[in-house]
Amino acid sequence: MDQSAILEMHGVNKTFDKVVALSNVDFELKQNEILGLLGGNGAGKTTLMNILFGLYKMDSGKVLLSGQPVTITSPRDALLKGIGMVHQHFLQINNFTVIENIILGSKVSQPFTANYAKEEALVQKLCTQFSLEIDLSARIETLPMGTRQKVEILKALYRGVKVLILDEPTTNLIPQEVDSLFQTLKIMVKEGLSIVFITHKLREVLSVCDRISVLREGKNVISLTRKDASDDMLVRAMVGEGMDLKNSVIFAEGLVSDQKTNKPAILNVKGISKINADKTQAISDIDLSIHEGEVFGIAGVAGNGQRDLAEVIMGIQPSTSGTVFFGGEEITKEDTKERISRGFVYIPEDRLADGFLNKVSVAYNLILGYHHLAPYSNKGFINWKNVKKSSKEMISEYNIKTTGPDEIGGNLSGGNIQRVMIARAFSQNSKLLIAHNLTRGLDIPSMDFVYKKIKTQSATGVATLVISEDLDELLLICDRIAVMYRGKIVGILTRDKFEKYEIGRLMSGYEQSQEETGKGK
Amino acid sequence: MTQIKKFLPYFIAILAAFLAAGIFIAALGFNPFKAYETIFSTSFRTPNGFIQTLIKWVPLTLLALAFTVPLSSGKFNIGAEGQMIVGGIGSAAVGIIFADLPPALLIPLIILAGILAGSLWGLISAWLLYQFNINEILTTVLLNFVSFSLIDYVCTGPWRDPAAGHPTTIPIGENGFLPMLIDQPPLNIGVLLALVATVGVYLYTNKTTAGYELVVTGANPRASKVHGINIRQMFLFSMVIGAALAGLSGAIEVSGTHNRLIEGMHSNFPTLGLIIGLIARGKNQAVPFVAFFIAILEVGASAMQRTLLIPVQVVLIMEALILIFILLSDLIRRRQK
Repeated sequence: MDQSAILEMHGVNKTFDKVVALSNVDFELKQNEILGLLGGNGAGKTTLMNILFGLYKMDSGKVLLSGQPVTITSPRDALLKGIGMVHQHFLQINNFTVIENIILGSKVSQPFTANYAKEEALVQKLCTQFSLEIDLSARIETLPMGTRQKVEILKALYRGVKVLILDEPTTNLIPQEVDSLFQTLKIMVKEGLSIVFITHKLREVLSVCDRISVLREGKNVISLTRKDASDDMLVRAMVGEGMDLKNSVIFAEGLVSDQKTNKPAILNVKGISKINADKTQAISDIDLSIHEGEVFGIAGVAGNGQRDLAEVIMGIQPSTSGTVFFGGEEITKEDTKERISRGFVYIPEDRLADGFLNKVSVAYNLILGYHHLAPYSNKGFINWKNVKKSSKEMISEYNIKTTGPDEIGGNLSGGNIQRVMIARAFSQNSKLLIAHNLTRGLDIPSMDFVYKKIKTQSATGVATLVISEDLDELLLICDRIAVMYRGKIVGILTRDKFEKYEIGRLMSGYEQSQEETGKGK
Repeated sequence: MTQIKKFLPYFIAILAAFLAAGIFIAALGFNPFKAYETIFSTSFRTPNGFIQTLIKWVPLTLLALAFTVPLSSGKFNIGAEGQMIVGGIGSAAVGIIFADLPPALLIPLIILAGILAGSLWGLISAWLLYQFNINEILTTVLLNFVSFSLIDYVCTGPWRDPAAGHPTTIPIGENGFLPMLIDQPPLNIGVLLALVATVGVYLYTNKTTAGYELVVTGANPRASKVHGINIRQMFLFSMVIGAALAGLSGAIEVSGTHNRLIEGMHSNFPTLGLIIGLIARGKNQAVPFVAFFIAILEVGASAMQRTLLIPVQVVLIMEALILIFILLSDLIRRRQK
């Protein structure tokens, strides 16, 4: 059927400092369609949509809404014009109820009382219309991620948007919730909305979108309908000509390895528990063993104790009880520095806060944690000659864009800061790598590069503990996956037993599969 | 080019400060050009002027380092004043009690006593921070007040010099006087000690592994902790080193400059030390140079008051203006980004 465009953007340009984020990008959204905006990290998807939502100002270009040129000056302005956006990180007040969160910031019928009956009825009507099952009087903090996202969608619907932008909406969802989200999107389109679905996941666009636009390095690559799209085409469009797909981990082989459990276990964690200062249980009774050369994954919705587990294994936080063995020796009492000397390497989740030094040079950053080991340190003195030499090697091998080892860290862009972390972690003679959200923020070729590094390392016997919220990533690279829920390990699966929906069930706290909730494919 | 770009904001800030202070001097009814000529020429016109500048440079550098070394790890030592005073007390005590020891023994003992006493005074705050996480700004400032009472007690107590009109102790033993580098005009070896301390701080923070840990702790304590650095130990170390430097300056004042303990001998050096540390933006390497510049202003200021009758406070205003304009230039640069 022939649809008219509800939204068009023409010749959009945007630069940040000296970085070109978007150059001459065109964009078109038709009436009643789900458009997949596909691209790797740094492709410019989110920037383009943030311009549409009034968060950024474009340098040049124009926006047409139903054929009429408009200027959108702020998110409020965008909402007035019928454009809504659901961000990756929800903007919600945890101890407010659903209805309070929805009407927050909008006009209410009785501003001097807390009587929202009228608004509640309206929201209830929307829930029925879009078949969203939400308890409006529930407090936000008690709800799972999938439901919280529906609250965000309801917020936009309540404000009467015609166009809804969803930025990487599946990031924190378990597979069952993803299915349910896609159902909702289809109903919304039927009810007259038009949807932009930003993602870097190929399978998702192919399963739900009517049309697909691919961006790469801030430029349009292709736009086509789902009928005309194929896996290969989209992959090529996303990564460009430069990448060798046949030998890539992501698109060709995965990280399958053989019989690693035959090798001796190098890390043994026995009955580790940690109780926070406020008496809450961060992690409880964790048993793990990781073998040499094994890639061991930990899946789970963010905030279920993954970070505490990583920090206890690294010796950054003390455990309340339990023991840690490494290569047969008990190391429970050793501090982080001693563990690093044993060959522990850690890539923390929060890169900027826990891993990067803005105020000092790139060289200082590249040796952090290993500064007390040879060849960087010699009898209490830093050997700056060696540091400079290694820094230069790392800068070129890991393609860090900087003027040199002496540049101040704070001048680097986000992607380059990532590369510094990766370079630092992979340049060590490590025995155990603990990586939390290893590839967050990396573009596809860089992701593949990191996976290959892990593969080479594990071939030499390095054990890897990957903690990730991206289930697809874990399924791709891990030999075994453990699922964490509320500080406990609720299941460990070996590669031959990997099943997305089963892991999804574990992640949401069901001990065993109770019934077939989410429909399989 | 990049070097010029780096220093340009400082030149502009200093120029702006002189301009603003010049207007102020003119408003007071004096000739600003004459005032500036006096300020800048005094240190270089006569040997005595230059040596006066060097003598002022010693405590200014040490007290500024007492502030910037802890700052390298992210901690604020506002207690250099008290640490200097207590250092001076320690030196005076050793110098009076062991007055008869030979110089080869007594001089090192006096210096050591100053460093030790200053360190101990700083250790109180450092330990409270290490053990109980008590804010170091608070404790260092409060301990300053305790030190005022302490020096008052020492200068008016059993060691009081009854001949002096001001709270002062009797002189330390002559064997404890710092040796002279130049006799006329007099310059003692304190300037060498300060130079050694400056170089030592530079080597420590830039070349050693422990110094690396100090600097990265200041840059991001959380990331440093995650990467195996004992950051609380770094806080403790840096505070004690800073206090030791302040103690050293107290020792030099007692055994070199005054040969006795005088209440109020710290003058406005500790405050100027803070200003120097801030103008140097906390960079240890920049401190000796900034301190020299401020020493020139200070010596010039006294001359200006003597010859032109312009109040010496004008120079303090100027120093504050330089600091304000440098902070302002930081702000402008951040806005431009």
